[in-house]
Amino acid sequence: MSEIGRLSVLLAFLCSCFAVVSIAWGLRTGMAGPLKSGRRAVWMVCGLTLLAIIVLERALIARDFSFRYVAEHTSLDLPPMYAFSSLWAGQEGSLLLWLFVLSAYGAAFLWSYRKRLDPFYDAVAMVVAGVMVFFTSLLTFVSPPFRILATPPADGNGLNPLLQDPGMMIHPPILYTGYVGFIIPFAFGIAVLLMNRTGTRWIEEVRRWTLFCWMFLGFGVLLGARWAYVELGWGGYWGWDPVENASLMPWLVGTAFLHSVMVEQRRGMMKTWNVALIVLTFELSIFGTFLTRSGVLTSVHSFTESNIGPWFLGFILISSTIATALILYRKALLESENRLDAVVSREGSFLFNNVLFLALTFATFLGTTFPVLSEAVTGAKISVSAPFFNRVNVPIALALLLLTGAGPVLSWKRVTASVLKRNFLIPVFVGVLATLVGLPFGLHGVYPIVCVFGAAFVIATIVMEFARGIQARKDVAEARGAMAVVSLVEKNKRRYGGYIVHFGMVMIFVGVLGSSVFQKEAHGPLLPGESLALGPYSLKLRGVENKPVANAQHTRAILDVSRGDKYLGPAYPAKAMYFKSQQPMTEIALRQTPAEDLYLILGGVNEDGSASIQAYINPLVSLIWVGGIVMVLGTLIALADRMRLKREEKLGA
Amino acid sequence: MRPATWILIAALAAPGLLGGSPARANESASGKKDPARAITSQLICPCSCGEILSGCTCETGKAMQGYVDRELKSGKSKDQIEAALVNQYGEVILGAPKAKGFNLLVWVAPFLATAFGFLLASLILFRWVRRRVPAPSMPGDPGAGDAGRGGGVGPGTTSEQDLDALRARAEAELKRFRE
Repeated sequence: MSEIGRLSVLLAFLCSCFAVVSIAWGLRTGMAGPLKSGRRAVWMVCGLTLLAIIVLERALIARDFSFRYVAEHTSLDLPPMYAFSSLWAGQEGSLLLWLFVLSAYGAAFLWSYRKRLDPFYDAVAMVVAGVMVFFTSLLTFVSPPFRILATPPADGNGLNPLLQDPGMMIHPPILYTGYVGFIIPFAFGIAVLLMNRTGTRWIEEVRRWTLFCWMFLGFGVLLGARWAYVELGWGGYWGWDPVENASLMPWLVGTAFLHSVMVEQRRGMMKTWNVALIVLTFELSIFGTFLTRSGVLTSVHSFTESNIGPWFLGFILISSTIATALILYRKALLESENRLDAVVSREGSFLFNNVLFLALTFATFLGTTFPVLSEAVTGAKISVSAPFFNRVNVPIALALLLLTGAGPVLSWKRVTASVLKRNFLIPVFVGVLATLVGLPFGLHGVYPIVCVFGAAFVIATIVMEFARGIQARKDVAEARGAMAVVSLVEKNKRRYGGYIVHFGMVMIFVGVLGSSVFQKEAHGPLLPGESLALGPYSLKLRGVENKPVANAQHTRAILDVSRGDKYLGPAYPAKAMYFKSQQPMTEIALRQTPAEDLYLILGGVNEDGSASIQAYINPLVSLIWVGGIVMVLGTLIALADRMRLKREEKLGA
Repeated sequence: MRPATWILIAALAAPGLLGGSPARANESASGKKDPARAITSQLICPCSCGEILSGCTCETGKAMQGYVDRELKSGKSKDQIEAALVNQYGEVILGAPKAKGFNLLVWVAPFLATAFGFLLASLILFRWVRRRVPAPSMPGDPGAGDAGRGGGVGPGTTSEQDLDALRARAEAELKRFRE
């Protein structure tokens, strides 16, 4: 079977090369034949990669240890679902998944535009195929997934215990769908420059593709945070780890693009800026892969370090140089069509919003890479971790929160003093009131106060926008309550979908504030019968027991949890010793409510028989996960709006 | 706002402003600030796990947490403990580098970049406001390039002269259409 896999990858490489050459030839000569063949080759790459994945998955599930990849990442005692997800546990499998998602995007793109005869779309497919060449060449020559062992071992090395989590079944594929998806906006941008294409239709198409992968990347980042929360067992969900930062950066720049693209659509401005943002988003998504694979930085998420980092770095350098050269070459194409009426306007707020998003990205990039830079210059090793990012990124993020409320209520072109007063008076009042209400409940410090003010301010502006929308539309106003809101959203999905996304973001801000600033902690060794008090909770150790599970031995503490006088039941924080790796792993116990999480960790069992218990109350952490779902819903609503695309189509017809 | 509203707001705010709040940030369960956590949350575990020491559950991490606890109980200050650890493990144990020498760059650059970005954005905005659109299709039409994008002549901005020009253009386009 390994021959089929190897052949599939090799043919995928050849098809990618053929697609690039054939489409380029077709575009140059204007002949339809080569264009058609090139498109078919892109389809072929998708089919061949799927075949390679099927071959590798079959070997993983059957534990065919003659495959080196299978022997390195699975074992006989590994549950089948984790054997399936081992595909993305190692470098070769991850790259294969990357290529599959990439080729699937290529195929989805061709399917979406199958009725368009415009060669512009062939140029987009050519850029996608160009990126495929890079990934297929890596899998063919540098990091082949179908290497065979001359003497297969009786059992494999097993899967990293940290990856044996249900979240890992979906987190990497969703994250990759986001990361890799930015290839389509990038390809559109490069194709526009290559083909010297004017018009605004393409920018609406790019916006939709970007929104789609932006949603997946954001959701994937949140799933990663959730995985860190339940699996790493340190009481938090975001540690500003290099790999976490790497996934955040393209999301931030993608968000900046999704805002500034509106200025281009409405006013024909910021064209160069938007193309630059598209390119930067794509390059940062490749950079994320480079960080995860290269091993240049220490990360709790780097499961697959290797020597392919320089290849990625080379690809980033080449692709960004080509993109920059094209932007400079086609400068005239990207000239703004308009002038601005006033500085204080929606356009102005979007520009400042972009500055803040880019500043946040820059701070994250600098902090992430600075240990390498500092060591190269000074020779001394340093760490740049959460204490740095919390001090530098939090104020910038809070400024963004405030702008999230201000931007949507500023009108396009010009804002008069009366509009400012009408739109800002109530939200500012609500923000101040929320802050004052929060003070007696322990709201202290500049950042928490600004966060509460900002959150209330943004929510007030969103509510006002909905209320005004309902009032302004007679047909909507006739509906009652929730139906009026639904009806309003249906009328302008893009606008109100955006507001829902903002609302989800505010929920995340409040969740982060609550769970970081108001977190409570208690720890200590407990002998059976002893109790630990934490806020309203009482944790009484009943005992410690050993319990075998599928492929590990759990040593777990049995804690009787009470809140006030009410007994809530037992909780079982544990230490798991995986048979294969012989690494002790933390298995937390979690009691979740909408208001707070009780997060319990067993640090270990001491010689005197006492159990070291660490307990946290994380208030409002559920808002982070719910906020993420709200953001996804808002994005789906915004994506459902095809009005503008239809209008552009009509104009183009 | 009525005086009664101000009194209500003041009553709600007073306990917080005077410091009599029922809960405080980063408190331990007993209600007292945990000085050990204040130190360990700024340090990195010295093993290769790369985690913040306060949340690290590896053996090295637990040993280090115990060390900080013991040193605090023996009367050493935060600075003394940090200095001793830096002496032993190097600056890599600090969660954030000290703002001196070359490492000052990482603290200053993000804020300088943000300030520069704002300055640049402001300059660009003023330039855009002052800019003349090349060969506008109609005199007095501020949204000349807005066709099809929801722009155009706004209410109250069109003079009589502009309207004449608009009529002339409409007639010319109709004529062309009929031909």
